[in-house]
Formats: sequence, structure tokens, C-alpha cells
Amino acid sequence: MRIRILAQTVLAALVGMSASAQTIKVDPKVSTYKQVSGISGNLNSIGSDTLNNLMAYWVEGFNKKYPNVKIQVEGKGSTTAPPALIESTSQLGPMSREMKSEESDKFEKKFGYKPTKVAVAIDTLAVFVNKSNPIKSLSMQQVDAIFSKGRKGGYANDIKTWGDLGLTGEFASRTISIYGRNSASGTYGYFKEHALFKGDYKDSVKEQPGSSSVVQSVGSDRFAIGYSGIGYATSEVRAVPISDQNKNGGAAFETTYENALSGKYPISRYLYIYINKDPKKPIDPLTREFLKFALSREGQEIVVKDGFLPLTAKMEAEQVAILN
Amino acid sequence: MSRLVESFRRGGVFVWLSGTTLAFCLAMILGLVGYLAAKGMGYFWPRPLVQVQTATGPVLGEITGQEPARGEETAKIQFRVGNRDIFGQDFRWIPTAGLAAPTFPKDAILIERLEYGPFIGRIVSLSHEGRVVATGPAAFSEALNRLPEAGRLRRQIHSIEKGRVGDLNQRIERVRLSRRKLEAGGDTAGLQALDAKAADLQTAYDQLQASLEQSRAQARAWTLGLQTADGQTKDCPLGSVVRVVPANAMTPFGKLGVYLSRLWEFVADDPRESNTEGGIFPAIFGTVMMVLVMSVLVVPLGVITALYLREYARQGWLVRAVRVAVNNLAGVPSIVFGVFGLGFFVYGVGGGIDSLFFSETLPTPTYGTGGILWASLTLALLTVPVVVVATEEALGAVARSQREASLAMGATKWQTLWNVVLPSATPGILTGLILAVARGAGEVAPLMLTGVVKLAPSMPMDGSFPFLHLDRKFMHLGFHIYDVGFQSPNSEAAKPMVFMTAFLLLLVVVILNLFALNLRRKLRARLGGSTF
Repeated sequence: MRIRILAQTVLAALVGMSASAQTIKVDPKVSTYKQVSGISGNLNSIGSDTLNNLMAYWVEGFNKKYPNVKIQVEGKGSTTAPPALIESTSQLGPMSREMKSEESDKFEKKFGYKPTKVAVAIDTLAVFVNKSNPIKSLSMQQVDAIFSKGRKGGYANDIKTWGDLGLTGEFASRTISIYGRNSASGTYGYFKEHALFKGDYKDSVKEQPGSSSVVQSVGSDRFAIGYSGIGYATSEVRAVPISDQNKNGGAAFETTYENALSGKYPISRYLYIYINKDPKKPIDPLTREFLKFALSREGQEIVVKDGFLPLTAKMEAEQVAILN
Repeated sequence: MSRLVESFRRGGVFVWLSGTTLAFCLAMILGLVGYLAAKGMGYFWPRPLVQVQTATGPVLGEITGQEPARGEETAKIQFRVGNRDIFGQDFRWIPTAGLAAPTFPKDAILIERLEYGPFIGRIVSLSHEGRVVATGPAAFSEALNRLPEAGRLRRQIHSIEKGRVGDLNQRIERVRLSRRKLEAGGDTAGLQALDAKAADLQTAYDQLQASLEQSRAQARAWTLGLQTADGQTKDCPLGSVVRVVPANAMTPFGKLGVYLSRLWEFVADDPRESNTEGGIFPAIFGTVMMVLVMSVLVVPLGVITALYLREYARQGWLVRAVRVAVNNLAGVPSIVFGVFGLGFFVYGVGGGIDSLFFSETLPTPTYGTGGILWASLTLALLTVPVVVVATEEALGAVARSQREASLAMGATKWQTLWNVVLPSATPGILTGLILAVARGAGEVAPLMLTGVVKLAPSMPMDGSFPFLHLDRKFMHLGFHIYDVGFQSPNSEAAKPMVFMTAFLLLLVVVILNLFALNLRRKLRARLGGSTF
């Protein structure tokens, strides 16, 4: 009896600890935004749905500085960004992955120069399980064996049930129910390339229209697993620490800011905004100021608010240099 | 046995059958509406703030969910702890085992803020420009007194931003565009005049901006010192407080007041925090406006088509084929219409308009990108079969004797159609319109390609010239449901919003239909009981 109470207290403490995850502070060396005069006009943003909310937050913040600017945000997937930039229906192309070479080639064919890429935030892709799932950690190779057909990561056998991952009790015999994104998504592409080692997804992956619906599905299905940006985490799900057999002696790392920056957490990425910048001409002032705002301290605090990770001062300076 | 046969013969069984089917349909509709209302409407009622002591410290919040013990897991309660800026997440699951009895502290307070969602904790102090004015309960009552003033200031700033600044901005933009036109022509005198005008406007804007900055500083002057249940402190300017809800110390009437004010905010305000908070007014407005524009476009299109098919075309295999084609159009998936709208209207027609009339703004498109006009046109195409079929039926139902009477008095065919047939067919045409509105208002997929956005900075109709902006992108209730439901970063907090939005969408469709039904009733009364 006493042991059970003790165990419960420990569990409560653990739950409490993981829930009150430390809030991330933006590097104080990141410069604050300086308002300039004479900014007005319209901007259209078409692209990633991972960045959709972040863009909406930035627009809200930017509008406080420049109430006279109108920015429309559309986010149906990273794949929609390059055509919109090429057709000039948008000036900002938020993408959660880098442009593929054929996409940027098409752009170059039309304009004679490459699109310009600005990194605006860091995202760690988390592998989520239901909050009641006791699994401690997963290796990249196990993740690959759960999600992919071909197991290019080199795991010996296919993983179908939670028992295959060593869970006992009611989980042992249950099939893993797998959730993922649809193929228009940059997250889909990034996960395929890095977590699946360019392999193919299993047919049993249930494709969801948004990152948030992946998390909601995992939250309501006790035997589920799914991936999406860490910014979409809720109290119904838990991000599993990830290890890589070939790095750091196979130790597993949480999805913290430090681990993402040091590269110990193996699946983190930049989020980008692509723009159409003619190298011979100065960049359109409105686009420039919007990006500068996104990269400023205020903008990066918004990144934290949306649950993503801010750039460090060094990265920020590099990105601002692209704009000038 | 013979009674059953008799009942079959008389059709009594079928009366019962049709009655049951009707009851089933009604139950389905009422169930759906009731479910949406129950899930959504309760969300605005202030819930008690519960405090419990856990191993890691006190937790204060609203209880939002429970989970019974299962297997090795203990039972858990879900708390909405708020304070996203401090805790990182709005919700938290806490195991119930070992928890002492929960308390309902009277001084616990929920503060709705413009940013970071609600704060849940206690008010410690109130300060003015960094100097503490009041502490403890005095700070709370003083804050309540000052809140309306802060709210007024905020609304004032907002209306200046939307109204005067927006207006000024449009003028600056117009000057910039005419400048670009002149630049191409090389008219130096005109350019100088425009530059002077631009400089004037810019000074006016700078002045406005300075006065706005002053108001903003004024709004920031009063700050609340807040403390969470576990002792972390936070300052919050009074200007960004939307509502203070001391849920445990409120009377039912006070709660009702909060409920109504939250409901009103939801219907009448702009969205905040990436659409997860605030209201959905732009989406309601966008939906209604799109449906109205669609109706204006679809009725002439459908009625004229039907008139020709029914009255003028020689009835033969060709007309039959056309009729079949029109009917089949209703079965084409709506996303196909969306793709057509994007390719034909947006890129084709819109791109053409831009290169002809708006070349000075290129490469930024005016009509060459999704907008409410293109969305309405696409939906008009989508719903045109409904109107065509309904109009044809209505035309067919006009009594032959009426036409013959008109023709016998020497009216031409067109005069007969215009003065006799069409008026009697109007109620039938309106039936078509009602069906079209219901179909159009609920459609989302084609809109996603032709102009709906997550966040539209300005509405398709406003106070600045030319008042109706059909080129603008818009928000839509159906898309809002999709966006908040599947793409919101804070899906737990946003879930009730989804139900509420769905409920409102139904309400909007019902209201639009009631309007059309009423019109039809009046018309019928005037026509003296037409057949359709």
C-alpha cells in the first residue's frame, strides 16, 4: 500500500515536471525591431500550414506597428508556396522544408534568378504518443520501422504492435495506429527524408489535413503514434525522446531548445519564408520590413508563443544580412 | 390479417411510414443542432476555479475533463490552467490519487487578455507608471473601476487604426500607383505635384501615428501585478485586459452577464491569437456577403438558361441532352469547380483584367488572385443547376390557360413571358434560390482555391471608397471551422470555438433561408395562390 502511494507520488511529480516544461527565452542579443516610416501596401502569403499560425501571429504583431498594412495569409501546405511565388499571386512563400531543385528551377526559368530563402524559426519535429503511453524513448531506426515500408534505417524487423517496442500489459498486443500528414505538407516531406531515410510510408498511415489534427487524433487514440511540429503539442499527447544508434552513443534526447540547437535531437529543421528578390534591385520595402519584424526580438518572441523555437542572435544576423 | 390488408389498401401504413420518416429527419436535424449548441454554448459560462495541492505545488484552474483509472494508470483530471506565457501549455492532466479535497478560493481570478490566452491566478497590485497604487482586494476593485475606461481607450485606438489610418493609407497607395503610371509616361510636372501630395499625406500619417503612439502609451500606463497559484508573478497592462472574471465570487446574475458579454464578443468581434480567441465577425460577414453576391449572379444565369430551354428551344434530342448535362453538373464534385474557378476566373479572367486595367500594380495582382468575386462566381456555377431545374419546373407549372389568355389578347410571346409567366413562376424560382443558398453557404472546398483566407485584414465591404471591394480575399465560417478544427496550434482551447462556429453557420443559413421563404410567402399571397 505504502509503495503504491509512493509510486503515485513519484508519478505525480514526474507528470508535474514534464507539464511545466520550461518556457524558452529569446536570445537577448537578438536586436529589437525599429519602426521605419513610409511603409504601406498589401502583402499576400501563400504556403505552409505549419507556419500558418505563426504567420497569422506575425501579421497581428506587424499590424500593431503598421496599422495601415494589409497582409493576407493562406496556408494549405508548403507545396502551394512555389507556384504562388512563380505566378506572383503571393510575395511571401512560407515553407516548412527547403524548395526542391525542380521547384526553384521553375522559378528561375520564369524570373532568371533563384528565389531567396530566409530562415525565420526552428522547429523540432516531435513523435507524439498518447499521454497514457508509457514508452520511454524511441530510436530513429525504430521510428523508421514503425512508419515505413522498406526500413531503410536498418532496423531488423517490422514494428507492428506496441509489444514489438517492448511494452507490456494492455499495450503489448495492440497494433500501433499510425497518423501522419498528407503529401502536400512540408512536414510529410521532411519526415520522409530524415526519419524514414527517404523510404516510403506504410499504407496504414492515416493521413491528416493538418498538424493539429494529427495531434488531436493521437490525443484521442490511446494506441496511436504520429508526428508533427512541437508547436502543436497539447496536454493529451507526449513527445517521445528520440535517440540515434549512430550518434551520442545511442542516448535519447528530449525535444528541448538546447538539444535542437546542438543537434542532439535528431529531427529539427528550419522554417523558411521564400521571397522573390531580384538581385539587381533592392527588395520591396514592405516585404523587407515584414521579414525584419519576424526576425526581430518581438517576432522571435511570437515564435516562442506559437510553440516553435527562436533563432539565436548569430543566425538572426545572418538572415538579416540576406535582406540588406 | 384482413385489417392489415385493408390498411395497406387504404394507404394507412404509408401514412405511418411517411410520418416516421419525417420524425426521423427531424430528430436528426434537432440532434445535430442540439449537439452543436450543447457543445458550444456552454463554453462561455464562467466555470468555478478549483485549487488542488499536488506534490509539485498548488494547481489552480477550471476542470475540463476526467479520465477513470484504467489498468496500471491512475484516474486523472484535466485542468485548464491558462497562463500560456508562463506554463507553456493551457491544459494539464493531474492524477487524482493523493489529492486533498479541492478548494474554491474566493480571490482566484480569470483574466482574459488580448495575448497569450487567459491568466488564472490572483491580483496582487495595481500600479500607475510603475508606482503601486493599490494592493490586494483594493487593487482588484480599483482595477474593475478602471477597466471600462481602458476598454474605451483600446476601442478608440482600434477604430483610429481601422478607420482614419486605413483611409489615409488607401490615399497614399492611390498616389503611389498614379505615380507609377506617370513615371512610365515621363510627365515631370505631374510627378512633382504627386510627390507634394504624397509628402502631405505622409505627414498626416506620421501625425496620426504619433497621436496613436501617445494613446498606446496611455493604455500601457496602468498595469496589474498578477501572481499564479504557484507563486510566479507577471505584469499585465490594463489596456490588454478584455475581461476580469472572479468566477468563485460571482452571483448567477454576474455569471450571466459574463456569459452574454462573451457571446456578444464571439459574434461581433475580430478574431485574435491566430483565430483561437476573440470573435468571428469577419467570417460571418464574409459568408453572408459571398452568398448574397452568389445569389445576384446565379439567379439571372439560371433563370435565363431555363427560359430558353423551356420556352424557346425546339424540344428535341439536343435540348434533352443539354438538360441531362445541366442536371449532371449538380453531381460534379465541388473541388472540380474550385479548380475550374482557379484556372479560368483567377488566372485567366483575373490575370487579364490585371494586365488591362491594373498594370501599374503588377506584379502584385489585384484581380489575378483569389477574391470574393471569383469565389462567388465559382459557387454560382456550382449552384446553377439547382436554379435551372427549379425554374424549369416552375415555368412548366404555369397554367396553359393563362398563357393562352395573354396570347389571345394580342401579346407577343416575349410580352406573355415577361408579364404573365415569369411573375407566376417567381415563387418557384425562389425555391431554387433557397436551395442554392443552402448549398452555397455550406461549401468550403472550392473556396479554398478561389479566395478564402485564414485571416483577412479588411472586409470586402467597408467605409472607404468604393465601399464594395470584390477583389478582396475574405473569411468564411465553413473554412473557419476547418482551420480552427484541424490547424489551430492550441487545439484543446479552440475546440469549443469549432462547435460554436458550426452552430453559427447553421444559424446564418437558416436566417438567409427564412428571409427567402418570407419573400416567397409574400409573393404567393400577392399572386393569389399560384400552383408552385
